[in-house]
Amino acid sequence: MAEPQIRVLDKARLDVGLTHGELWLRYFELGGMSPTLEVEAILAGALLPSDHDHNVLAHALNERYVELGGNHPVAYHDDSPPTQPVGGSGTGRAP
Amino acid sequence: MSPGNGPLLDFGVAAGLSGEQMVLSVRGTVDSHTAPELGAFFDSAIASGHRTVILDMTDLGSIDAAGLAVIASAASRLIGVGGGITVRSPWTTFARILDVTWLAGGLRLGLPRPGLEHLGPEQVTPRSTASARLRPAGLVHGLRRVGAVPADNDVVDGALRLVVALARVTVGGADGVSVSLRRHGQLSTVAASDRIILEMDADQYATGEGPCVDASVEGRWFHAESLDKEDRWPAFTPRARRLGINAILSSPLLAQLQPVGALNIYSRTTSAFAAKDQELAAVFAEEASAILTDAGVGVSDDQLAARLQHSLLARETIAVAQGVVMERERVDQHGAYTILRKASQASDQPLLERAQDVVASTRHPAPRLPPAA
Repeated sequence: MAEPQIRVLDKARLDVGLTHGELWLRYFELGGMSPTLEVEAILAGALLPSDHDHNVLAHALNERYVELGGNHPVAYHDDSPPTQPVGGSGTGRAP
Repeated sequence: MSPGNGPLLDFGVAAGLSGEQMVLSVRGTVDSHTAPELGAFFDSAIASGHRTVILDMTDLGSIDAAGLAVIASAASRLIGVGGGITVRSPWTTFARILDVTWLAGGLRLGLPRPGLEHLGPEQVTPRSTASARLRPAGLVHGLRRVGAVPADNDVVDGALRLVVALARVTVGGADGVSVSLRRHGQLSTVAASDRIILEMDADQYATGEGPCVDASVEGRWFHAESLDKEDRWPAFTPRARRLGINAILSSPLLAQLQPVGALNIYSRTTSAFAAKDQELAAVFAEEASAILTDAGVGVSDDQLAARLQHSLLARETIAVAQGVVMERERVDQHGAYTILRKASQASDQPLLERAQDVVASTRHPAPRLPPAA
């Protein structure tokens, strides 16, 4: 349940040498909406993140890994299809 | 110390469960009279098999050394069974103080310090390396913090005074300890164990030289093993010797990876600091650096404004790109974000750059207008 997430996100944060504040700022830049207290609670394991929050945090950490010459070791929560049609058909163009 | 500015509350502890974790919510003043009651709650939680306890200090009025000791002792026992304490407090520095308190308690009890290696003097030690090598993971790992409110100067100074007091009694050979910090471009002593040490620091600021000044400026260790043989600071050294000082160890304090001050340890004895004392000095310097980093020391208003401006621009660009993808791919907001994020992941291109490309792709060439008649 929550324990693996704590290990993944907070261990990765320690691994790439980001403080809580630095990680929050990167998360915020990538469009994260939760305030610092909430993100710290997620990292400390006191709060379970939404899938979207988990993914934005994971991506912030993965971008840091790439800066350091690594890959994307932090897993995302979106094994389900990523898009939800809202009517009509997609154009199929790459973003 | 008084972390909260809220109304004064009578002391009380409420125990509850969050999932399977025990939550102890403390309100009011924790002092020598009330600390035993908090200790009894911890005893009970540990006796019932809880390995991790969430300590909610949101309504804490104030806490003294007796309260800190009870929490540090409980943390020690919980870490011993593979658990720990998660501190929930709006006051970030509070958890740091617990870290330092527990650290000093562990040292006095002679607990093992896993991961602690010798760090010789005069080594260049970028913070991340020092942190990885010196932070005794098994010692303070169990204390996790949840906090967000930046500390003001009074709170930071109080925490640094605690670091000074603990370093003074735990680092062998230390006759005096101080912390120098650069504020508004000038070094000053924010915590010192006694008046002679204050004078010693002031002499260094006045002469513009000395291990404390050099460590604060250069961000690396300076160790004067014997002032008798020291020739690096000709103006300062004779003054120090007149005050009876013979050895000095200055460790840099870093905030946001920048040197902002120094932890200075003075001794009357030549060659007073053995390898293990130098290691301890590094650990206390790390703790003080963490306190300063949390408090946002070393970041100028201009830097902060520029960083926030960059952040807001990045968010806006990503939001606009999301809108473009939503329209093109007929997906909702989260779907569009996922598409952008996956594209970024697949190409190792940062999400912001990917978003900039998407926004740029919407610019059409200027329409051709018929020539004017």
